[in-house]
Amino acid sequence: MHIVVCMKQVPRDNSVKLNADLSINADGIEKIINLFDEYAVEEGIAWNEKHGGKLTVLSLGSADWTEQIRRALAMGATDSLLLSDPAFAGVDTLGSARVVAAAIRKLGDVDLVLTGRNSTDDESGAFAPALARSLGWPQLTYVGKVQDVNPAAKTIVVDRSLEAVIETVSSPLPAVVSVIKDINSPRYPSLLKIKRVAKIDPPVWGAADLGISASDLTPAATLSTRAPAPPRPKGELIAGGDAASKVSALVNKLLENQVI
Amino acid sequence: MNFTASYGMFLGDEHELLRRTVRDFAEKEVAPHIRAWDRSGAEHGEGPETRAHIRPILKRMGELGLLGICLPRKYGGAGMDYLALAVVCEELERVDSFLRVVISVHTGLSSLSIFQWGTEEQRQRYLVPQAKGELLAGYGLTEPNSGTDAAAMQATARRDGDDYILNGEKIWISLAEIADTFLVIAKTDPDKGSRGISAFIIERGMPGLSSYSLHGKLGVRAGNTGGLVMQDVRVPAANRLGEEGEGFKIAMAALDNGRYTVAAGATGLIQASLDASLKYAQERHTFGVPIADHQLVKRMISHMVRKLDTSRLLVYRAGWMKNQGQRNTRETTLAKWHATVSSFESADDAIQIHGAYGYSDEYPVERYLRNSRGAIIYEGTRELQELLQADFALGKRINPPLRRELPAYDAEEWES
Repeated sequence: MHIVVCMKQVPRDNSVKLNADLSINADGIEKIINLFDEYAVEEGIAWNEKHGGKLTVLSLGSADWTEQIRRALAMGATDSLLLSDPAFAGVDTLGSARVVAAAIRKLGDVDLVLTGRNSTDDESGAFAPALARSLGWPQLTYVGKVQDVNPAAKTIVVDRSLEAVIETVSSPLPAVVSVIKDINSPRYPSLLKIKRVAKIDPPVWGAADLGISASDLTPAATLSTRAPAPPRPKGELIAGGDAASKVSALVNKLLENQVI
Repeated sequence: MNFTASYGMFLGDEHELLRRTVRDFAEKEVAPHIRAWDRSGAEHGEGPETRAHIRPILKRMGELGLLGICLPRKYGGAGMDYLALAVVCEELERVDSFLRVVISVHTGLSSLSIFQWGTEEQRQRYLVPQAKGELLAGYGLTEPNSGTDAAAMQATARRDGDDYILNGEKIWISLAEIADTFLVIAKTDPDKGSRGISAFIIERGMPGLSSYSLHGKLGVRAGNTGGLVMQDVRVPAANRLGEEGEGFKIAMAALDNGRYTVAAGATGLIQASLDASLKYAQERHTFGVPIADHQLVKRMISHMVRKLDTSRLLVYRAGWMKNQGQRNTRETTLAKWHATVSSFESADDAIQIHGAYGYSDEYPVERYLRNSRGAIIYEGTRELQELLQADFALGKRINPPLRRELPAYDAEEWES
């Protein structure tokens, strides 16, 4: 069985700055595996342990993502693949889905794609659906539990955690699955594996390898402006003689502003 | 700022991945509880009832491979090098000293001694399960009446047929009530001074061996420290480590490794004080600006950085020498002296930066100070280190080669 986990590297927190050209500057912030993708890696490892075969961690990024890729390998992924090309810089969600779909088609034997429900930087949540659409595969999103994966019968059964209900869905494979937090408990990188993976450089595929042209990558939407959120306004200190009068002043304010 | 970025002359990518892994483990599984554990040690003493948190954490550390990080795979270890041991100690002590104390006694003093001096049979019987964390190990050298003056110890080991009978008391023993095995040092020939001392691996459960917990420590309150009482404990000769009369050399060689872990841990403690100070200094505002803008606060921060980098370099140099199989007593003792004193000073400054809040256990810096103070005493007092360095410099102290040296790091062999 060949499982692919799509993994993004993101800054640990979002205290980013803006460059002059409106792009995001995350310099100086520690880089980590996107939280939801880490759950996807763990889920992939668990099913790979059960059914054997390959678990490829796939990232669309640059050479400085290698450390996180190695981390996923030390957790238990068997293979890795980095999609990197200057043409991919500034790619948007739809474009990245097209690029990754091209890679998955090129791999040829992929039975299941796992990824997190969204990234913690862009937070569009659209990557998994767009990838499924590009591949022409079923999409199973907001998965809180993978009940069963049957490579022989080529089926998968999952529980989707929707707002009011949990929906159990069965689907043929191959399929794209996006997972939510706490679907599992991601294991630590194995210290036994760390030394082995430390020297691994993931194979790199570029635009030419994937047959991707510039027109595939033109963003569907153009960014007109990007600005940090306005600073929190200073609060107002309620004045009053004693606690009781301050409380009634506060209650009046809340009523005036239709908060209560 | 990434304080570990410029150590490429010593560390490789695997050390960075290891550092992140240990840091994540300590932050996720220990940091949220450490204040409660530390307080419980103070309020309720350190008997097994209040130490219920220790075994599960040690089990986790064993599962992750942290307890045998610098041992060959064929002995149950992770097959990484001695620098990896330093990285593990830094990151564990950064969260709390009790975690690193475990590594010091279990890996540094006991396991590495068995690795260095043990027969193949002893390595299989003790080193392998210890490396995997299936057995926890302690170390017994210090007695109520002898610490630095180790040769004046009073514990005895009398030969009786194929066994030795051990009598005596050891005190200030980490994991006294929790460890499964102890490497104890006792006199086989009291008339021969330091040449009449031997080393033995004893097991909890051997008749005559009992342990107790100490209470009221200033620091490392989340740990377990206590004493061992040996009353006619019968130990097979197969459990003697090294030759009869070699025990003093074994004890001193053990300290080369124990001190190394203490030095590395103290470096992690400086890092912790610095991290806490940087965070607080940017959040706390006085006179309309973050206190990081005040020059005298900057001064304390910059001195912490100086102590951090110098300690780190001294520790890694010693680790590098261990990797090469070079005798490193002088370099390790220098690192231990410098890093432990620096960690105490840094914690002291960290409290000052935190102002009144540093005086409360709401913030971790007071715990750093209390924890750091012990390391200036144990595993070789500051005063002993000072005398050693002078005597090394004056040529009054030579290290003759040992019958068995700590094995050099061999990547291919250790990973097979």
